[in-house]
Amino acid sequence: MKRSFFESMPESQLVEQFTNDALKQFEAELNDEFTKYNALADDIVAIGEELKRRTGDKRSALLPLFDHPNPQVRLMAAEITLAVAPAAARQILQEIWDRKEFPQAAHAMGTLRALERGDRKPT
Amino acid sequence: MASIAPEIERLRALRAIRVTLLELKWLRAATRFEIAVRRHALALKAGFNADQPRVPKGSPEGGQWTGEGSGGGDPQRNPKNDPPESPDNRPSNSRTRTTILKEVARRILRTGEDVAAMARMGIWLRTYSAEIQTYNDPPKSLEDLQRAASTPAPGYDIHHIVEQTQAERDGFTREAIDSPDNLVQVPRLKHQEINGWYQTKNAEFGWQTPRDYLNGRNWEVRRAVGLEALRIHGVLAP
Repeated sequence: MKRSFFESMPESQLVEQFTNDALKQFEAELNDEFTKYNALADDIVAIGEELKRRTGDKRSALLPLFDHPNPQVRLMAAEITLAVAPAAARQILQEIWDRKEFPQAAHAMGTLRALERGDRKPT
Repeated sequence: MASIAPEIERLRALRAIRVTLLELKWLRAATRFEIAVRRHALALKAGFNADQPRVPKGSPEGGQWTGEGSGGGDPQRNPKNDPPESPDNRPSNSRTRTTILKEVARRILRTGEDVAAMARMGIWLRTYSAEIQTYNDPPKSLEDLQRAASTPAPGYDIHHIVEQTQAERDGFTREAIDSPDNLVQVPRLKHQEINGWYQTKNAEFGWQTPRDYLNGRNWEVRRAVGLEALRIHGVLAP
């Protein structure tokens, strides 16, 4: 989706769109629909950028998603909020790994290890 | 000295009773599941949906269905608590079979269920029991994974640490690609997950797919990413 599409959305709607996109990603992965998964990833990143651009960096609006029952929603929320809530986001990633919530657990551990090595510097 | 034969006989008998009790427990679980699946199938045929809202207790129509049910799969669900659907009849569509197989194997990994979970499976799914069992393998050393690559086994695949198709396209020799150093034996469903991971955009690679990130990279970088993929999927011990 184009960035301008998200610019006009209120914060609550962005969070809703973010959640819906992550839920669709969960289904896309189960069905091996990787093109669809990746298009949704682009939208999720664009929503994160739009929230970051807003006064005061509104990515923290995604923090309530840490309690979402779906692991893909929690994974994406943790990835996008690493810069604004590093300790809490890391904890969510670690929990996804500890609960063996694959395939999200692989992504979560990949990020944790990249942070540990200093290869990933969230901004 | 008194003979120990009667004591051995007694222990053997006790063991036989324990085995029989376990078999009966398993049979009971399997039968319960069969009944539940058939009831579920009948209810679906009749248009039943457990999520469909009902009129609250106390009113004249209390308990009756009202409005439309949500129907279909619900990705909002917490996969940890919901038993995977396992239809009695083998789905004709390969993608549906794979999806169900993934859900079942992942659930067993998360919950540690074993016999009870197997009993809940449709008969067609039990033919994939090797794939489901091997998905639960603990992480192994690189040497163990490489050694096992020379012995094909049910539920496992041979996996190239440096992805073969991309490496060949980028000019690496078949000799290097198929060398024993590049081959490991991995659980089949993990193999599929790793292949999927290579194709999905990932924060760790600047929101590129690992495959795109590796385009034009040297052998060492590809191998490092390949080993990391095995580690984060719980195949290779850290």
